[in-house]
Amino acid sequence: MLTSTLVATLGMVLVCLAQDQSLLRALRVTTVGAGFVITSLILRPDGRGRDTHLLPYASLLCGLGVVLLWRIAPALASKQVVWMVLGLAALLATYWLVDDVAGLARWKYTAGALAVALLGVTMVLGIEVNGARLWLGIRDFFVFQPGEVAKVLMCLFLAGYVADKGPIIRAQVSFRPGVVLPGLKYVGPLILMVMFCLAIFVMQRDLGAAALFFGLFVAVTYLATGRKVYALLSVILFLAGMVAATRFFPHVSVRVGAWLNPWADAQGGGYQILQSLYSLAAGGVSGVGMGQGFPELLPAAGTDMIFSVAAEELGLAGTFALLLLYVLVTARSYSIAWRARHPYGALLAACLATVFGLQTLVIVGGCLRLVPLTGITLPFVSYGGTSVVVNFIALGLLLAVSRDCLPPSPDA
Amino acid sequence: MTEYAPQIRRLLALILAGFGLLFLVLTYWQVLMAPRLAADPNNQRQRLRLQRIKPGRAYTVDNQLVLDRQRGEKGWTAVYPQGRDFCHLTGYNAQSGLQKGLSDALFGQGVYANPWRDLLRGQPQGNDIVLTINAAAQKVATEELEGKRGAVVALDPTTGAVLALVSAPAYDPALVTSTTDEYELFRLDPQSPELNRALQGLYAPGSVFKVFTAAVALDLGLVNPRTEFTCRGRERVNNATVVCRRPAGHGTLDLNEAFYDSCNVVFAKLAAQIGIENFISYGKRFHLLDQADLALPSAAGRMYDFRGFKGKVALAEAGFGQGATMLSPLQVARLTAAIANRGQVLQPYLVEAVKSPEGVVVARGQAKALGQAVSPATAATLAGMMEQVVERGTGRGMGMSWTKVAAKTGSAEVRGKEPHAWFTCFAPADAPRYVVTVIVEHAGSGSEMALPIARRVLATLLEQSR
Repeated sequence: MLTSTLVATLGMVLVCLAQDQSLLRALRVTTVGAGFVITSLILRPDGRGRDTHLLPYASLLCGLGVVLLWRIAPALASKQVVWMVLGLAALLATYWLVDDVAGLARWKYTAGALAVALLGVTMVLGIEVNGARLWLGIRDFFVFQPGEVAKVLMCLFLAGYVADKGPIIRAQVSFRPGVVLPGLKYVGPLILMVMFCLAIFVMQRDLGAAALFFGLFVAVTYLATGRKVYALLSVILFLAGMVAATRFFPHVSVRVGAWLNPWADAQGGGYQILQSLYSLAAGGVSGVGMGQGFPELLPAAGTDMIFSVAAEELGLAGTFALLLLYVLVTARSYSIAWRARHPYGALLAACLATVFGLQTLVIVGGCLRLVPLTGITLPFVSYGGTSVVVNFIALGLLLAVSRDCLPPSPDA
Repeated sequence: MTEYAPQIRRLLALILAGFGLLFLVLTYWQVLMAPRLAADPNNQRQRLRLQRIKPGRAYTVDNQLVLDRQRGEKGWTAVYPQGRDFCHLTGYNAQSGLQKGLSDALFGQGVYANPWRDLLRGQPQGNDIVLTINAAAQKVATEELEGKRGAVVALDPTTGAVLALVSAPAYDPALVTSTTDEYELFRLDPQSPELNRALQGLYAPGSVFKVFTAAVALDLGLVNPRTEFTCRGRERVNNATVVCRRPAGHGTLDLNEAFYDSCNVVFAKLAAQIGIENFISYGKRFHLLDQADLALPSAAGRMYDFRGFKGKVALAEAGFGQGATMLSPLQVARLTAAIANRGQVLQPYLVEAVKSPEGVVVARGQAKALGQAVSPATAATLAGMMEQVVERGTGRGMGMSWTKVAAKTGSAEVRGKEPHAWFTCFAPADAPRYVVTVIVEHAGSGSEMALPIARRVLATLLEQSR
C-alpha cells in the first residue's frame, strides 16, 4: 500500500518535470500523495479485516487526475489538491463515524428525503452554468453540486429500503409464479422515488446523472427481486424514455444528433465529440507524451473530457491502464458487497459499486462515442470539488462495510 | 455472504462486460481508425502541431538569411527577409515552396525527428538549412527579369548544385499573404506569378536543343565538325518543311558553321540521320524527360512519340528544338551542364547542408552521378563548337575579355506570337564552373533578349570566384 502510494507520488513529480514546470511547484502536487500516506498510516490494520486495496487504487487515480489537471490548467490542479485533502479527511471521518454499518439503515428515509430536498432546492434556486442548473451556493464564491451528494444519499436510501422490505418484495414475487410485477405497494415508493429524481434531472438537463440514477434503479430492482425480467423491462423502459426525450426535449435531440452523426455539424453540436475522437486517434498506441497534446481544443477538458486528454497524451497503453484501475476498484467494491455478512452492508456496497462502475462506463463511453456524451465526472480524476469529496465519502463507506466481511476467497 | 450474493456477482459480470466493450471501442478508435481520423479535414491537430514547433531558418551558401521565423499569437510564422528575390524558393506559406518541400528538415519531422532533444530543450525546434543558392547571382537574375516573364537557372556543372533559380514575374510572399484580397489577386493573376517557371514551365527549346542533336550525332560517329552539308534556305526533310533563318540559305557549310550560325535545315537533316530509336534513347541518357527531384514541384520534359503517325515530321522538327519537344529551363541547364561535365549527367540539388539548431551538420548535399550521356570526347568537341558560337556566331555579344564562354542561343517559335528567347552557356570553357540558362517568354531572339541577362548573371558568378 505504501509502495503504491509512493509510486504514484514519484510518477507525478517525474511527469511534472517532463512538462517543463518548476520542481518546486510540482512538489505541491505531492501533497496528495502525502495525504494518502498519512491516511493509510492512520487507518493502519485494525484487526477487523478492512480492505487494503481500494485506497492504493484511488491514490493512483487521484495522482493521475492531478497530473492531467496540472497539464490542462495548473490553477485547477491546485484547487483539486485542496479538495482531495478535504476528501481524505471526509473519508476518515466517515470511516470513524460509521462504526456499525448496519446502524446506518435507520437513516434511510432521512437520506431519501434529503436527496429529494437537495435536488428540489437546486431545481428552484440553482445556479445555471452552461444551460444546466446543477449548482447550489453563491456564484464565484462557493458552489457545490447537490446531484453528487444525492448520489450517495440515494444509495443509503435504496440499500436501507431493500434491506428492510426485500424479503417481502421477494415473497410477493415468488408466491405468484404467473404474475411478473410485484405488488405496487412495495415497489411503488421505489419507482416513485426514482421517477422523481429522473424528472428533476431531465429538467435540470443533467442527462448523465439521470442515466446514472436509472441504472442504479435497475440494479437495485434486480438485487431486490433476483429476477432478470425486471432488469430487462427497465432497460426497455429506459430506451423508450430516451426516444421520448429525444423527441420532446430539444437539448436532448441536439446531443443525440451529435452522437449519431457528429460530422453533420462539425463546428457546432458535433464539435466536442469529434475533438474527443481526434484526441483518441492522435494518442494512438503510445500517446503523444505528457504536455504534447491539444487539450485546449477540447471543451470541458478538465471535467467531462479528461479521459480523452489522457488518451491523447498517454495513448492506448495509458487508457488501458486507467480503465484497468477502474475495473479493479469496481470489482473490489462488488467483492466487498459479495463478502458482506449483513444484507444492508452488502446492498450499500453493491449500490456504491454500481454507481462507481456505471459512472465510469457512461462518461468514458461518451468520450468514445459509444453512448451520447453527457456531463458527468470521471471519478477521482475529473476536476470537481463536490465530486471528489463525495467519492471519498463513498470510499469511506465501502471501507466501513469491508470491516467484518468474510475474508476474500482465492477466486474473488 | 448474504442472500444478495448471486445477484451481486451477476451485476459485477455485467459491469465488467461493459468495461470489456470500452476496451474494444478504445482499440477501435486509437488504433484501427486513428489514421483516418488524423486525416479528417475537420482535424486541425497536425497543423497546430507544426505551429508549435520553432521552425529552422534557411540561408544561402554565402550566408544570406532567406527564410526566418517569428513568434505570433497563433504560434510560429514565416518571415521572408529577401522578399521577391527568393519567392519561388521560400514559397509564401507552409504549403508552398521549400517550406513544403523541406518541411521535414525545417520542422524536425520524419527522419529529422528527435523527441529526446525536444523534451530536454522544452521547445521543439527544427533544423536550419543552407541552400546551394548564390545570393548575389539570384538577386541579379531577379533584377534582370523584372517586368518580364521567364526564368534563370544557374548550376555548378561539376556537382549539380543549383546556384540560382529565378522565375518571373516574382511576388512578395509577405504581401500576398497579408490580406484575402491580395491573396486572391495573386492567385488569379493572369501572369501566374505562383508558377515556378524555372522548374514547372515547359517550353519549346528551339535552337538551344541543337546542342542535343549535335551531341547525339557526334557521339554516334555520324559526323564531325568538318562534315559538310548544304542548305537552300527552305527544304523538305522527312516531309517537314524546314525554313532556315537565312532565307537565301547557307549554301555549302560544315557542321561547325551550321551550329554557330544556327542552321535549321542542317539539324533537321541530322535528326533524320540519327533516327527515331537513337534520338529517344539519348533523350533518356540525358535525363531530359525526368522530373527535377528538387524538393520543389517540377515538370517532366516531353518528347513526341516519334513512332506515331507524324513521327518522321516531328523528328525533323525536334532536330532544331521545335514541334512537340518541350523542356523546362532546368532541363536545358542540365543538358548544358552534361556537356560542360565531360558528358556526365548529375542530379541537381538545392540543399548544401541541414544543420541542427546547435550548428551540427545533420545532412549534406552532394554530387550524384546519373550516368554518362555521351563520351568525354564528344562533350569536348561540342564544347569547342559552343565556344565558336560566342567567337563568331549568334552568341557574339557574350564575349568576355578575361574568360572563354561556350554557349548556344535559341529563339523558339510560338505560333502567332513573338518567339521565346533562349540562351544557355557555361564558363570558363576550358574548365567549366558555371552553367547559366535563361529564357524570356515571347521576347524575340535569344541573342538580343536572353543573352544580356545570362551575361550579367555569369559575370556576377565569375566575379565572386576571382
